[in-house]
Amino acid sequence: MIQSIPTYSNVNTIRLSALFGLLFFVCIASLCLGAYAIPLGNTLSILFNSIGISSANFELSQSNVLLQIRLPRILLNLLIGGGLGIAGAALQGMFRNPLVEPGLIGVSSGSALFAIIFIVFISGGRTSAFLTSLGLPLFAFVGGLLHVGAVFKLSNSQGDSDTATLILAGIAINAFAGALIGLVLFFADDSALRSFTFWSLGDMSGATWAKIPYALALIGIPSIFILQKTRELNALALGEQEAYHMGVPVRQVKILILILSALIVGAGVSMVGIIGFVGLVVPHLVRLLFSADHRIVLPGSFLFGAILLNAADLIARLIVIPAEMPIGVITALCGAPFFIWLIFNFKKTRS
Amino acid sequence: MLLAKDIHHCIGKRQIVDQISLEVQPGEILAILGPNGAGKSTLFKLLSGEVVCKRGMVSYNQFEVGDLKASELAKIRAVLPQHSQVNFPFTVREVVTLGLHQVKVSRHQAILEEVMEMTQIGKFADKLYHQLSGGEQQRVQLSRVLVQIWENQPYPRYLLLDEPTSSLDIAQQHAVLRIIKKLTTRNIGVVIILHELNLAAQYADKIALLKNGILKKWGTVPEIMDEQLLEMVFDHPVLLIPYPACAAGCFVASAGNISSANQSINQV
Repeated sequence: MIQSIPTYSNVNTIRLSALFGLLFFVCIASLCLGAYAIPLGNTLSILFNSIGISSANFELSQSNVLLQIRLPRILLNLLIGGGLGIAGAALQGMFRNPLVEPGLIGVSSGSALFAIIFIVFISGGRTSAFLTSLGLPLFAFVGGLLHVGAVFKLSNSQGDSDTATLILAGIAINAFAGALIGLVLFFADDSALRSFTFWSLGDMSGATWAKIPYALALIGIPSIFILQKTRELNALALGEQEAYHMGVPVRQVKILILILSALIVGAGVSMVGIIGFVGLVVPHLVRLLFSADHRIVLPGSFLFGAILLNAADLIARLIVIPAEMPIGVITALCGAPFFIWLIFNFKKTRS
Repeated sequence: MLLAKDIHHCIGKRQIVDQISLEVQPGEILAILGPNGAGKSTLFKLLSGEVVCKRGMVSYNQFEVGDLKASELAKIRAVLPQHSQVNFPFTVREVVTLGLHQVKVSRHQAILEEVMEMTQIGKFADKLYHQLSGGEQQRVQLSRVLVQIWENQPYPRYLLLDEPTSSLDIAQQHAVLRIIKKLTTRNIGVVIILHELNLAAQYADKIALLKNGILKKWGTVPEIMDEQLLEMVFDHPVLLIPYPACAAGCFVASAGNISSANQSINQV
């Protein structure tokens, strides 16, 4: 019976290839559909043309929409969705708590606080395009990292970082940031309130090619580092004591995961605002569908997050043409019922 | 050889472990016994390297614990803590595989087969860990720590177990201890915390009696099986009933009201 088990790597390759295929399909659909629909044939020839295989089966306006607006947006969705997924999976594994989401370590609330300060006090009134496009993400990013630092420092008081204290410190700091946000909102005018509300629900419309290198550096590279930690996270799933006994340098791994996740989520939040649900649900989907082994959970969560965010963005763009629904509304609105369905249907097989 | 020399540990001003020296040879089982609060668990953590002792030293095969990296230490000794939780839906096979963290991937399959055969968990290898009974879960956890030090190496390895039988019925208790006994033929030394005196007497080679952080006596089973000594350590009278059929040669009995037990024995 033991011999009949297929090796892990084979099964995982099949699973990950399937997710890759699904991601590719969603991306192509996302390229074609929208307020300005582009036929599939034209889409493909634009893509071929851009990589040097000349083909003239399209109009210039189509090419502009596709290459300048949709493609960077899809790539950004892919990186941010994937980043949220993998960061959520790594943090859940590290905390050994399936309810943890990236927001819990303070990134989102820190970013939100600094974003609202920026919107209300700095960019309000004299709107300079340059200042808004660069200042907001920068502010939000710094705010997110500062908060994670504060949470970690608080939990680290006795020279030893205790996981339960880390979660409690995160909750406390989040509550405090929430109060400060309320205070700042009190001074905000209507337009600032509106732009903060939309920012806090996620806004993908600002995606440009200029953001892609930053996203690659701050999300792509940390994600690759997290992927190297699958075995350590597997060991940590049994407990920190047990992981240490198995030869994992627990403290180092915890700090590394925390920093990498903070970078990923901070970069994502700063570029497109707060997108809830992805970081919490995606790792669960992967665990329910496949296995709790981090060798599949981590890469699977990246791919699934990328799929989910691209699909949600597609729906957000299609549902109220020519306007756009905030993407956070879609992720929660579609994600929550689907997640509930999944929990009930997979209960029989995996728990 | 696992060696502890004059180890000492206090939390705040309270002494938990005071001036304890012990050694464990490969192929030998050392049972640590003592009443609750005697410092057994702290001693255990000092031996495993999880807690660094304030004074004295612990060494494995002449390497001091503090000088070894977590990954190096993991190749020499494996540890089974008292309670291990599994929070995610891992299957039994996945849990056991976790123990192979430090082992070459090419050897995984063979080690898994041998260990699962020995601990008899092959038949539920693909079930979820949560679905198992307490005894089965304990055998899975035991398998997980065994795979870590299973392979024969030029150096001796050590296994440290903190009350591995505490939540098991008698049949399971003996099943687990028989597995542990077999390990000693693989050049492995075992340190085990036990509460049940009879189990210690039957399976251990040496026993260390602990009370209030002090090592009261350390020796072979016949040296430790002494009514007065045990009564002094546990603050409760015990009776040693000769019973040649079992390995220790006697059976330890204790009763809520020991004087009446004495009488009934005398009447017999």
